[in-house]
Amino acid sequence: MAEAAGEAAAEAVRRSEPADAALALEGVSSGYGAVSIVKGVSLSVAAGEIVALLGKNGMGKTTLLKTILGMVALRGGAITVGGQALAGLSPARLVALGVGYAPQEQPLFQDLSIRDNLRLAVPSDRMLPEALERLFGHFPFLKDRLAQRAGTLSGGEQKMLILGRALMLRPRLLLIDEISEGVQPSMVERLRGVLDAERAAGVSMLVVEQHVAFALALADRYAVLKLGEIVDSGPAGAPDAQARVIGHLAV
Amino acid sequence: MLLTLDILTTAAILFIVSIGLLAIFGVLKIINFAHGAWLTVGAYCAVVTAKLGLNPWLALPLAFAVGAALGGLAEHFIIRPLYRRPLDAILATWGLGIVVGQLITLAFGRDVQLTPNLLAGTVEILGVDYSAYRLVALGIALAIGTLFALTIERTRLGLSARAVIMNETLARSLGIDTGRVRLVVFMIGAGFAALAGVLLTPLTSVDPNMGVAWLIGAFMLVMVADASYLALAAACLVFGAAQVLISTFVSPILGSIAIAVLAALVLRISPKGFSRA
Amino acid sequence: MLETLPVTERAAAAPRRRRLSRAAPVVVAILAALALWIAPLVLDTFAVNVLTRSMIYAVLAVTVDLLWGFAGILTFGQAAFFGVGAYATAMILTAYGATPLGIAAAVAAALVAPALLGLAVGWLSFYHRSTPLYASVISLVVPIVVVQLIYAGGEWTGSSSGLVGFDVLPFESEGYFRLAALFLIVVTLAAWILVRADAGRALVALRDNEARCAYLGLNPRRLQIRLTAALAAVAGIAGFLFANASGVVAPENAGFLFGTELVIWVALGGRGTLLGPVLGTIAIDYLAANLSGDLPFLWQLLLGTAFVAIIILLPGGLADLVGRLWRALPAGRREPAPPRLVARAADPDAAASATPILTVENLAKAYGALTVLEGIDLEIRAGELVSLVGPNGAGKTTLMRCLSDGTEPFTGAIAIGGTPITGLTPNRIVGLGVGRKFQVASVFESLSVADCLRLARASHDGLSPVGQAETLGLPQAALDVLRMTGLDRLLTRPTRLLSHGQKQALELAMVVALEPRLILLDEPTAGLTKAERTTIGTVLKALTAGGRIAAVLVEHDLDFVREISSRIVVLHQGRLVLDGTVEDVVGSELVRTIYSGGAHG
Repeated sequence: MAEAAGEAAAEAVRRSEPADAALALEGVSSGYGAVSIVKGVSLSVAAGEIVALLGKNGMGKTTLLKTILGMVALRGGAITVGGQALAGLSPARLVALGVGYAPQEQPLFQDLSIRDNLRLAVPSDRMLPEALERLFGHFPFLKDRLAQRAGTLSGGEQKMLILGRALMLRPRLLLIDEISEGVQPSMVERLRGVLDAERAAGVSMLVVEQHVAFALALADRYAVLKLGEIVDSGPAGAPDAQARVIGHLAV
Repeated sequence: MLLTLDILTTAAILFIVSIGLLAIFGVLKIINFAHGAWLTVGAYCAVVTAKLGLNPWLALPLAFAVGAALGGLAEHFIIRPLYRRPLDAILATWGLGIVVGQLITLAFGRDVQLTPNLLAGTVEILGVDYSAYRLVALGIALAIGTLFALTIERTRLGLSARAVIMNETLARSLGIDTGRVRLVVFMIGAGFAALAGVLLTPLTSVDPNMGVAWLIGAFMLVMVADASYLALAAACLVFGAAQVLISTFVSPILGSIAIAVLAALVLRISPKGFSRA
Repeated sequence: MLETLPVTERAAAAPRRRRLSRAAPVVVAILAALALWIAPLVLDTFAVNVLTRSMIYAVLAVTVDLLWGFAGILTFGQAAFFGVGAYATAMILTAYGATPLGIAAAVAAALVAPALLGLAVGWLSFYHRSTPLYASVISLVVPIVVVQLIYAGGEWTGSSSGLVGFDVLPFESEGYFRLAALFLIVVTLAAWILVRADAGRALVALRDNEARCAYLGLNPRRLQIRLTAALAAVAGIAGFLFANASGVVAPENAGFLFGTELVIWVALGGRGTLLGPVLGTIAIDYLAANLSGDLPFLWQLLLGTAFVAIIILLPGGLADLVGRLWRALPAGRREPAPPRLVARAADPDAAASATPILTVENLAKAYGALTVLEGIDLEIRAGELVSLVGPNGAGKTTLMRCLSDGTEPFTGAIAIGGTPITGLTPNRIVGLGVGRKFQVASVFESLSVADCLRLARASHDGLSPVGQAETLGLPQAALDVLRMTGLDRLLTRPTRLLSHGQKQALELAMVVALEPRLILLDEPTAGLTKAERTTIGTVLKALTAGGRIAAVLVEHDLDFVREISSRIVVLHQGRLVLDGTVEDVVGSELVRTIYSGGAHG
């Protein structure tokens, strides 16, 4: 597994044209108001590759995801998905381009039913049955609970709903923000199983994480973000990867 | 008995007049002070329908269409630049109300207009003779309320609107075109307001400033209801009852300020008003 | 290492210019008074009468501008106070005639009745966590209620036809013109002096950031209520003058529609500029009187259209256009002179004491079913620098909020220096010696650096209502923050032009200027450069090293925490899981697991 991942990473490094990459960031900068948060980040994710983006709180990981999604204004650099430049595209266009997003902060409409939460993620109700089939394929327990309020799910179940929702529309690129946060180890394994399967099906992912062990086991490559800049990166399977990342994160 | 009917029909009329304002406040978080002008526009649609010699009930669809069209223009040119300045939006929509009022004055003059009765006469109900139209208004309020509830609870637009109310950022990140939702909701709100204007014509005189008289009451009810139409219905019942009772037993003048004063006090005690219950 | 800040040299050349600029309003006022004294001799009677009314309305516009343009309270209610003043005058003059006693009683009533109503309205409108919208709602309700009461007043108020034919002051129209002019000039001058003075900055501060005002120990509610009552009294006197000058009062003088007209005039003239609303009101009302006879509807239509356009495209009104032109000229670009920074001796009674500065016992807090904090016990003594760490959602910021706002619903007990804070509003907790720095820099965006700092000292030193103090006295520690971050050379710069790091430093200096016993800092280093972090670390260490102050900071940057803390408290999922020295925590396996994401459930 680790060896395969290392090879995939090396492969990604060789393929340098951004047009080939599922996602390519070139010197991306962004921020809010007077505050600059992401500062010149370059990063690419190849087709069928998982890249883990690690870093402490407040280092700009979520802002980077939101910049890709067009929810935070891009101030410098370029972002392409499958070769297409993203500047100025609405989130709706991104969904159509095959970008899925599993947010971390307030990721669900707590007071709406699970079904309504899912309906809101598909462009039209006609696409819902097929999308739900896919969702139940990953997380069958949701099948009997569609009428339940999303807020009544446990923390881990909510994470599964968030991930399932992002996968419903067969995305080619997934942006995932701290999917393992607050989730019990057994459920983390289950999430990882789903993500592994999706990668095998050719989906590319940028995974923001603080759970180092989970992230490195899942990803092909990792990058560490510190104060809005990438300070370290490498194959996730490298023997010293864990030690290096924790060196950046912990006390 | 008469009192009960008065309370119910007063509440119904208040609900009809306020629902459009509530829709806009709920989704756009903007207080539309042009609401009074939309009511007036609706009433003048009834005037036009009468002048053309058409069936007076045809004024209803006409008013809705005119209100929605004007609302669409207003949203695009006036509301959209002011989303981040809600207090300024109150002022700009108030200014829009002045403009609409003056345009109506230029077109129709400032005199009171006569409109044909939508429904004349009285009917006997539970032993009292009661205005047939007020009873119909009660029915219409229930119909509008049901229609509104179905739109909100059952349609995709309603779901999107609720999503925007609850968490606009998330709604947008899921690919919902929140700008379009706001436009459509504003158009519907303005359409309902104009519709209400037609329904007011048998109850009040039609002149270019008629809407202003209803604006403050509707505004206070919506403040108390926050963004919930059920809370709006409750507020209309409670404050409508207060208005009728105070007018009947104390003084009509105090009755006329009952809604504003009681609503202000309710908000002082519980800033979320009736929506909390 | 931390020496006294040298006195800023450039300030030395300032006094003469300052004296000139201080005299400017008075000079303008005297010139205006002269011009208006002569004006009735050259104007026709119609113009004199109309302009008398316009100038009285302009007084109201000044009050609306102070409330809305400066203090941020959008009000439609000034018409009500005006109407109450006018009716009080008319009713008293009807009853007692224009005898000296009658006039005196009318003036008193026109002053006191609106002021009392203003107090009531202020009390209703402003409370802890009230919203600006709510105040506007109340300001709509008040004129409606007043008008209905006038209708209900029967003979007393003349009901819908109003009062007419009462005795008035023995003046000709020229006399009223001059009286109105004098009144307008006095009110405008007073308002001008106030907004240029240090106390005027408090109004703008309220508009910009009410929460920060409260966390500087100012009482926003009291300020807003007093302002409302005082300006209600001014509007009442305008009503007195109006009743005398016109000889008639009518319900619409008190109505909500008139209230909205006032707002329209202020908006067109330029909110927050005083002269804009004054000139705007006079021009519009005069034009209206001349034009509305010929083109009544068209005039309203034009005015309405202009109003909508101005609100959307030029929120600063016409005065903003003029102001931009003025600033394009060399004379308009002159920077105001900065105040001289001086060090203040530390408060002598803030001596070290044996009582812990902060005690927290069994603190718990829940949002609905979600428990955010549970069973927190904590004791912090002077001289400690405690870092609060833990992953996202551990409850760190919530804990800080509970420590600084006693109105947060929590259970358990929190005491500052032995005083329980349950139920206390933030400004009273600041009075107990707590200073809080927010995660997102919370300063006053429209004010200069010096003004922000002066407001931070307002609860100790007060604010001058008439002038700008030439010195700015700050505790040594605050001066150190300014000097180390270079803010001491940017005292006149508007804070909205500062960088993110400079804003953070300014907020820290403001909090330190409060001379708190306990400083709470929420992620003071977020988004800062390495050099800025080091500066903040140095400041915090120096502050607590004296042994009289304690600091608690929430921090994600563990390197930073390790460098500066005397003690570290680890929160995880709402519980206090570790409380010890830096060595204890750094070596802890538990912390390592929490941070690598392992410890759950």
